[in-house]
Amino acid sequence: MKIMPCPLNGPRNISEFTYGGEFKPMPDPATCSDAEWADYVFNSENRAGVVVEWWMHNASSYWFLAERHTVTDEIIRTFDAKEIFTRRVDFIAKAPAREATV
Amino acid sequence: MTAFSRLPAPMGLLIDRSRALSFTFDGSNYQGYAGDSIASALIANGRWLLSRSFKYHRPRGPLTMAGQDANTLVQLPSEPNVLADLQPLADGLTVTGQNFSGSLDGDRDAFLGKFSKFMPVGFYYRSFYKPKGIWKVWEPIIRKKAGLGVLDLKFQPEYHDKAFLFADVAVVGAGPAGLTAALNAANAGAKVLLIEQQSYLGGALAWARFDIAGKRAGELRAELVGAVESHPNIQILKDATCNAWFTDNFLPVIQGNRLYKVRAKQCIVAAGAFDQPVVFRNNDLPGVMLTSAAQRLMKLYAVKPGKRAVVLTGHDDGYLAALDLLDAGVEVAAVIDMRTAPADARLAETVKKADIPLHLASTVYEALHAKGMRHVTGVDVRRIVGKGQVAGSGTTIDCDLVCMSAGYMPVYQLLCQAGGKLAYDDAQAAFTLSGLPRNLAVAGSVNGRHALDNVLLDGGLAGGAAADQLGLSAPAAGKAFAAEPRVNFDWPIFPHPDGKDFVDFDEDLQVRDIVNATRHGYRDVQLVKRFSTVGMGPSQGRHSALPTARLVAQATNRSVSETGVTTARPPFVAEKLAHVAGRGFDPYRQTAMHQRHVELGAKMMPAGVWQRPAYYGKPEEREACMQAEARHVREKVGIIDVSTLGGLDVRGPDAAELLNRLYTFAFAKQPVGRSRYALMTNEHGVVIDDGVCARFADNHFYVTATTSGVDRIYQQMLKWNAQWRLDVDITNVTAALAAVNVAGPRARSVLRKLCQDVDLSAEAFPYLGVRQGTVAGIPARLLRVGFVGELGYEIHVPARYGEYLWDALMQAGAKDEIRPFGVETQRLLRLEKGHVIISQDTDGMTHPAEIDMDWAIARSKPFFVGKRSVEILEAQPLKRKLVGFVLPAASSKPLEGHLVLNGPDISGNVTSCEYSQTLGQIIGLAYCAASQSAPGSQIPIRVEGGQVVQATVVKLPFFDPETKRQEL
Amino acid sequence: MATLQAQDFLERSPLYRRHAGASLGRLGESSIVAHYGEYDESAQLQRCALIDLTNLARVGFRGAQAAEYLGGRGFALPEAPNRALTQGDGGHVARLSQTEYLLLGSLRDAGSRIAGEETAWQLGEGGNYLLPRQDSHAWLLLTGEHIAAVMAKLCGVDLSAGTFPVGAVAQTSAARINVIVVNLPEGELPCFHILCDRASLDYFWGALLDAMDEFGGKPAGIDALL
Repeated sequence: MKIMPCPLNGPRNISEFTYGGEFKPMPDPATCSDAEWADYVFNSENRAGVVVEWWMHNASSYWFLAERHTVTDEIIRTFDAKEIFTRRVDFIAKAPAREATV
Repeated sequence: MTAFSRLPAPMGLLIDRSRALSFTFDGSNYQGYAGDSIASALIANGRWLLSRSFKYHRPRGPLTMAGQDANTLVQLPSEPNVLADLQPLADGLTVTGQNFSGSLDGDRDAFLGKFSKFMPVGFYYRSFYKPKGIWKVWEPIIRKKAGLGVLDLKFQPEYHDKAFLFADVAVVGAGPAGLTAALNAANAGAKVLLIEQQSYLGGALAWARFDIAGKRAGELRAELVGAVESHPNIQILKDATCNAWFTDNFLPVIQGNRLYKVRAKQCIVAAGAFDQPVVFRNNDLPGVMLTSAAQRLMKLYAVKPGKRAVVLTGHDDGYLAALDLLDAGVEVAAVIDMRTAPADARLAETVKKADIPLHLASTVYEALHAKGMRHVTGVDVRRIVGKGQVAGSGTTIDCDLVCMSAGYMPVYQLLCQAGGKLAYDDAQAAFTLSGLPRNLAVAGSVNGRHALDNVLLDGGLAGGAAADQLGLSAPAAGKAFAAEPRVNFDWPIFPHPDGKDFVDFDEDLQVRDIVNATRHGYRDVQLVKRFSTVGMGPSQGRHSALPTARLVAQATNRSVSETGVTTARPPFVAEKLAHVAGRGFDPYRQTAMHQRHVELGAKMMPAGVWQRPAYYGKPEEREACMQAEARHVREKVGIIDVSTLGGLDVRGPDAAELLNRLYTFAFAKQPVGRSRYALMTNEHGVVIDDGVCARFADNHFYVTATTSGVDRIYQQMLKWNAQWRLDVDITNVTAALAAVNVAGPRARSVLRKLCQDVDLSAEAFPYLGVRQGTVAGIPARLLRVGFVGELGYEIHVPARYGEYLWDALMQAGAKDEIRPFGVETQRLLRLEKGHVIISQDTDGMTHPAEIDMDWAIARSKPFFVGKRSVEILEAQPLKRKLVGFVLPAASSKPLEGHLVLNGPDISGNVTSCEYSQTLGQIIGLAYCAASQSAPGSQIPIRVEGGQVVQATVVKLPFFDPETKRQEL
Repeated sequence: MATLQAQDFLERSPLYRRHAGASLGRLGESSIVAHYGEYDESAQLQRCALIDLTNLARVGFRGAQAAEYLGGRGFALPEAPNRALTQGDGGHVARLSQTEYLLLGSLRDAGSRIAGEETAWQLGEGGNYLLPRQDSHAWLLLTGEHIAAVMAKLCGVDLSAGTFPVGAVAQTSAARINVIVVNLPEGELPCFHILCDRASLDYFWGALLDAMDEFGGKPAGIDALL
């Protein structure tokens, strides 16, 4: 069984983790085309090479990111999501005249 | 040969001569010693014939004496296919043979050997699969003839379990290389786990001869084993098989009834090499064995393997074995060396000095036997005149033992599983390994080192390197490797026109079977394996892989490197399912009130890992119980344990903002003290969960989720907020809160008796209101809900009080005739109200419009997960819709999953359906085409047996459309 | 003194029926097993024993200001996640993440200090959120010389002394459920504090006792601990 190095809990059997899918930036749902949105929702690059993936350590419910090589299955690096998500994300309403929240 | 005399000590390393044991084999009584294997004890008694071969029922005796061949498979009373050369002898053991008709000695099916030319390679495939269906006729007959023992169907399962074992360095194999590797790593400070398949340490040091004087192995073994056994850093597992290699050195090791899951930072495989047979006619006769097998019999068990022996060899070790035989009092009739001369000339001199005739550049062409083929009686020795070719005539030598060894095949199985690549080195006529992971190393003969000094050096280096990788400093090993002679004879295959020159003993495959497979067009060694079944028997190609590779290479005009060998997959040796299963772990969750349900006679049902009451009563009275419970809720008051319902506390300044983004509805302006329905879609716009969102404070929401969905929903919430970084805390309080729903017209009356600090009047605490207060003195969250369509209060309390709350409500409600109801009753009640259950009435495609949930979407919000997808879906014409339908009470009742038809097409399926006593008809929910969904439409449903019933679509809910009852 | 019954109390461990035959003691507003049978269980504890501490107070706090809050209330906090510290009163604080702490009550005050922390907390503006650990999690104490070997039958993390020293915390999976294992001995007695899902306690108790069997492990009470 493979070992996953968790940034919080250290190296653990991969059975302690849940895969959270490929990390991919969301296009702005308010402005992107239907095709762009569908591509984001349904398609995956399935690249042969280094990919960034979401993983969660089950016992601590801790989400983090992992760089993994899909050919060698080598986990190159794992890191806290704060490294990428450095600040609060907000969604702005399409029509500025309208209230942002109801 | 009737002998129960053993060689004197120090022969017999494993046996305890003070403890004699009696046992029976095929009905005859025999004696052995403690420490014997079944096979060693039988041979000590002169009993050689242990089994019949798989296909031709030829008599077979031990080949390897190390559990590496199928010849020694025997039957124990409750276990078939036991390896007699590994299985320790026990007093009173009853052993029988396998795979024969009548008796093992007089097998009626032995004639099959004469028909071998009618059972050519690929026989099964080509003969029994046409015409279609004929295999069904032949299969039981063939299975019986190719018997693999008998299962004891009365066998009581034994306790098997698993345990993890952790080591810095795992060393697989405790021969000279493994022992020095373990010592070197341990001396550097590493925690070492030494895994040995046999019951003794030392490997070949325990039974092989490494010098002319015959002293070195014993002395070295004593020294190394002593050091290892007394080393505080070394843990030893004997009788333990490392059965596979998995990523990052995860090693399943079977010892007794336990499967160890070993996790090692570094792993050194020092598994040694398999002694290789020579292919000649009748090389399978009892009395023909690997040279190492004869040495094991003498050194380990003090058993004299014969009176007059012939040693056939492709390397110098055969000469040393001949000296061992001499020492044991065996007359050595000849040493037959396939090479033109030994690498070490002193060996030839020593053998000659002992008056042993030496035949160079010669081979055994055929082993001879008397009628019945019970034992080898002699050999036909020929000069080798070409690759696999021998002179037209030779000399016959009488003997009762043939020791053969063509060379050594590395035990490469674990290494190939780790991604190692085998390459054939033509100069050495041997396989070499490369491409291993960084944390896996090899040492000793598996690494192509055969000279003892090189083996020790190799082990030491591997141990040191492993320690280095762990950041420990090991003493330098120093010396350089000495050149060593090659140990593999390049073509130890001598086909005979009359065949029975076995390449694979398990499967009775001869040279021509392999060659013919290539002539059928199977050039790939993997295809040859599947067509011929070579290497598919219990010994898994340990002896057949190398000759097969050579034969396929020759027949297809390629090199052995090009053909390669077949893939080695786990497990390394046969393993019992009991080992794989271990002690099963099946977690279950129980609510705080679980025992009360059991005491009340509830029929419990699984809900995910939870155990929940389905209804209270006997399974055969299910329908009556449900209807009675439902009526009670509608007319009086019921109580149901809803502790398994998911619960999430969302707290902090951004709590409302988070819920706004996760659920379709709007929560920012939700008043404190109120709840709202909460529907969740995923990014595809598919409905994935629902619940209610209770606001207890500006910065505190309590959100419920479905029993099965809550863990996933909680994880998704955390994942989203790892990206959004809102100032909010999300806590899963599902198990922390025990909860009941008290529902029915008398619910308020019951609760009033226990709750004084909350005004329960309809005006002060209306439908969808939420309050915090105390119930029976317990701090509680109160939610007015209407899931079952009656006045109802959900009461959520800390789990530690759960059972007490139940007791208090049952007691307080006695006057109002409170009665518990189960999950199935609740499903009926909510169906009458037309409430959907996410994942029962929805599937992986359902979007809000299909289930009439458009109202639950706040469209002016800038974002919620799935918003964009919902918008896209809504812009398209509706393909299907979930509708309520009714059928007369007397109609056939559709079941969940039954199909809804639309002309010749399937337009949907039933998701829920029950008989409603309240309404006096069958009610249900089903998907159907949008064109069928208007109330009043008829939808045909195909029910059990293919019958089609015409259901009528009605407006939901079925019951109390003005929802007056729940708003009381 | 009348014999105590678990059902005399509002707060109950999910295991109380499995403690049948044990002598109970009062623990705040609940009961706890004092001992099984009449013999001294000290030797059993040294060998291999399992004690149900589910009724002993515990609580969690999480948030950007949790450390400041707890520091202000006199708790000594571990310096890194997955470390634990025993407090002066015999209780313990385990740190589960950058901002999350688990407070384990002490038998010396029958958990009253930690129970007090739970009732004293109010949801305010600051980022410090109470986690109802006493209700979400059950609490078991595994004692004796074989604790690491017992856990190795259930758990894929090496919990032997060399790699899991005193003060270490492992959030992991044991017998296929999530657990928090904290290595904090009671004096000289090796102890793992194990917290698991309260609803799974009946299951996990059985799995642990089964794993302990080969080491002569048995359930025990708290008398021999004090």
